Amino acid sequence: MSNDQYAYAVGRVRAMETRLLDRSKIERMVEASSAEEALKVLGETEYAEYLAGLKNIYDYDTMLDQELHRVYLELHRFSPEPELVGLFACKFDYHNLKVLLKAQKMGEKRDELLVRDVGNIPLAVLIRAVNEEDYTNLPSKMRQAAEQISEAFRLEANPQLVDLLLDRAMFLEIFEKLEKLDSSYLKEYFTYLVDLINIKTYLRVKRTNNSREFLEQALLPFGEKDMTRLVQLVDPLEVLVDRLMSSRYAQFIEDGIQTYQKTDTLTRFEKLADNFLLKHVKKAKYVTFGPEPLAAFILAKENEIKVIRIIMVGKINQLPTEEIKERLRDVYV
Amino acid sequence: MEVGLGLAILGAAVATLLAGIGSAIGIGIAGQTAAGVISEDPDKFGLTIVLTALPGTQGIYGLIMGFLILFRTGLLGGELVALTIPQGLALLFAALPIGFVGWLSAIYQGKAVAAGIQLIAKRPEEFGKAMIYGVMVETYAVFALLMSIMIFMFLPI
Repeated sequence: MSNDQYAYAVGRVRAMETRLLDRSKIERMVEASSAEEALKVLGETEYAEYLAGLKNIYDYDTMLDQELHRVYLELHRFSPEPELVGLFACKFDYHNLKVLLKAQKMGEKRDELLVRDVGNIPLAVLIRAVNEEDYTNLPSKMRQAAEQISEAFRLEANPQLVDLLLDRAMFLEIFEKLEKLDSSYLKEYFTYLVDLINIKTYLRVKRTNNSREFLEQALLPFGEKDMTRLVQLVDPLEVLVDRLMSSRYAQFIEDGIQTYQKTDTLTRFEKLADNFLLKHVKKAKYVTFGPEPLAAFILAKENEIKVIRIIMVGKINQLPTEEIKERLRDVYV
Repeated sequence: MEVGLGLAILGAAVATLLAGIGSAIGIGIAGQTAAGVISEDPDKFGLTIVLTALPGTQGIYGLIMGFLILFRTGLLGGELVALTIPQGLALLFAALPIGFVGWLSAIYQGKAVAAGIQLIAKRPEEFGKAMIYGVMVETYAVFALLMSIMIFMFLPI
């Protein structure tokens, strides 16, 4: 019975889903003759309200940010378990903390990168914590990481450490939150996400010829696959493909890695990985009551925003239509 | 008051009570989902109201059964009938099919129509199909009412 509390929220999300961009609108954007024409297609969608406020076509990022904010705030308002939205909002907190720490420790002040309003932790709290170097008000995993960073920076300034430790802390916090939500759908999503990030990390570390110790530090916990046990850094990439052939990632790992070997970019791999995750996300379509459709909507919206961004970047840089299409992700609807 | 009469009244109460609770829960679930859809798309009110009302029928069936029993005992209109304990028990049993089936079928029907409401939020043209799924649950409430009435009718009182 407990999932019945989602009756209202899921009804609402189902109605909101009808306004997500479908294949045909995406196609029309891709086929548009210019960036302006592509934006015009958005005039028939939910994005219409932001279009008037755009200064020029390069301003599309503001529009996408506004839309993402709107979705987070709205879902937070009507979700029976606001922690569900908080799970996905974690990334904003850690992103903000990274920006603030880098600003403080290395003097790279980039306030424009800060995300306001949608995080779980008010920006003011984070700013105060960083300025006073007092992290006691922050969630425990975040606090530990921040203190560790402060400690390490006394000896040596290492910006990479900020990313490494905070990324790890973020997933520790996410999986801690997942325990409370008790949804296998969400747990699977984040497990797959961690696995895919770890595969990418492995590829990057291998490429930059870093040490095994570094790899171990960079890999995230909670994945299904333990990369350090699966492959050695000295192994050729074929070994990785081979080892993953019997896993759930088999359907795209060969294609992704081979393209990476040929082209030296992870674009194709990332696209295939995103599509794999989206396929899992789509399972929420068959859930009538529960947190799944809400989570799926957030992820569908983030995916949509990514797709629009790919199209706009392509159009502004006048990439051929075919090339943009190659980069596009599936859509949720 | 005699025990037989008491048992019959218990039957009338059980039929109305259980089926009514079921309908209330069923409509409650469907109504919440409908409200969610309406808050985004108010034009769908007409379609959702029909589906939301479906789990309400069990409560009505229960009420009908309750009335029938009360009429038979003479509590409503007429003189009190002297009922033996077996007769009273039989009237109580007559109430059970619609009471229990009405209770649970209304809850599950509520879930089925809530899913149907989610369906028409996306594809209003498929309203008929959403309706059919809800009505399929209704069949069993109707069967239960039928059995309740048969027991009631063929009772030798």
